[in-house]
Amino acid sequence: MPLYESTFIARQDMSRQDVTKLADSLSTIVEQGGGKVVKNEYWGLKSLAYRIQKHRKGHYAMLAIDAPPVAIKEMERNIRINEDIVRALTVRVDEIPEGPSAMMQQSRSDSYTPDVEVAADIIVADEPLS
Amino acid sequence: MERTQQDAGPGRKVFFRRKKSCPLTGTHAPKIDYKDIKLLSRFVSERGKILPSRITSVSHKKQRHLATAIKRARNLALLPFVTQ
Repeated sequence: MPLYESTFIARQDMSRQDVTKLADSLSTIVEQGGGKVVKNEYWGLKSLAYRIQKHRKGHYAMLAIDAPPVAIKEMERNIRINEDIVRALTVRVDEIPEGPSAMMQQSRSDSYTPDVEVAADIIVADEPLS
Repeated sequence: MERTQQDAGPGRKVFFRRKKSCPLTGTHAPKIDYKDIKLLSRFVSERGKILPSRITSVSHKKQRHLATAIKRARNLALLPFVTQ
């Protein structure tokens, strides 16, 4: 069976759980079509390089799939119907590399920064009191 | 590109331009991937245009792969089409 990588951008006002649920629902469609999801990555809430349907940010998620073309077609049809998905790209790949993709290594450092900022805010808020 | 002493006529300055090798070919070269924005952004101008291979010295074959990867990244809003 051919290998595919399907990346999609979900609306920014969704929660992380909703995006995971969305990815799971797409995975079940693939599995019903006789394929299997090899890798499931969540890249986090990233800002878009340009506005898409007035969205400035979006949740990025990627599925690496080993499935027959019919299953991919069905999944893409569902992606087009779903209004929570702003943009999607499915490409055929020759191989699926082991381990997390380049995006995961970058986004991990991205997703940690907000946590640090939140922590810093708390410290600042504490200082006037003491 | 390379000129020897004989090619250049008398009184003409001799230019030696070392042929730069392709940064994306070789055993330790990074793989071209539409997800790797850090790598792709090295081959894109400030305005977001794809840089010509004569500047970046990417081989012809790799330049084709690079172009498709950049276009895919643009489609996913990972790279801009234009930055004003």
